Amino acid sequence: TGGHTTEILRLLSCLSESYSPRHYVLADSDKMSEAKIRSFEQKKAETSFKSQFTLDRIPRSREVRQSWISSVVTTLYSILYSLPLTYKRKPDLILCNGPGTCVPVCLSAFLLGLLRIKRTIIVYVESICRVETLSLSGKILYYFSDYFIVQWPDLKKKYPKSVYLGRIV
Amino acid sequence: FRFKDSLAQDLQSADLVISHAGAGSCLETLEKGKPLIVVINDKLMDNHQLELAKQLHRDGYVLYCNCSTLVETLQSMDLSALKHFPPGQPEKFASFLDKVFGLQ
Repeated sequence: TGGHTTEILRLLSCLSESYSPRHYVLADSDKMSEAKIRSFEQKKAETSFKSQFTLDRIPRSREVRQSWISSVVTTLYSILYSLPLTYKRKPDLILCNGPGTCVPVCLSAFLLGLLRIKRTIIVYVESICRVETLSLSGKILYYFSDYFIVQWPDLKKKYPKSVYLGRIV
Repeated sequence: FRFKDSLAQDLQSADLVISHAGAGSCLETLEKGKPLIVVINDKLMDNHQLELAKQLHRDGYVLYCNCSTLVETLQSMDLSALKHFPPGQPEKFASFLDKVFGLQ
């Protein structure tokens, strides 16, 4: 969604052609991100031969301020929904930065890893908005990601297993 | 106006921007090198959005006030004291990932 999409496209901006094909996963209710992604990929296609990308949608796992109990149910539903998608794409790398959408995708990949079906490296980059506290997605994925990147030093102190590279968006 | 697809043009021609604490608004303004006064909504104190605005103020990039002190801030502000906001460095992220995958 919105700010998350802008941030993730900035993260992708300097990646080499090796990071292809790119599979984008969006929430079904997200209206604006698709246009931003297509525009980004179009620019990439102008300067590289290998550009390939896909776009998939999954049900939104949680509404803002949704109750804890119903969030668990909707997130479980989203994980089940994501499993076939993650199984189909079998990504080498999952890159995410915090929208609720990323939790089921990452957890489904983590599950496929436990089942020895596909080992995916999960890289989580916490949003630049998060200076002192982690988002809910961050708090969950801190334990499931291979690399957890924060953009402010306070968070590095609080979450010692995280990686601090300074401001990267 | 109520909503525009992009404020880029308005930002470009502005001399001073007064905004709420939304991260997108703050960052977009700072990246265009415009002086920014962030106005905090006291009723939304629980909002994590404040974290970024507070940090930007601590680092000297923006001025900071609430609705009731806005006029006073405008009267006494010293915009030249604001620091230039350096852009983020996604290339550091690319380097990091390349190392993870042995792609240097």
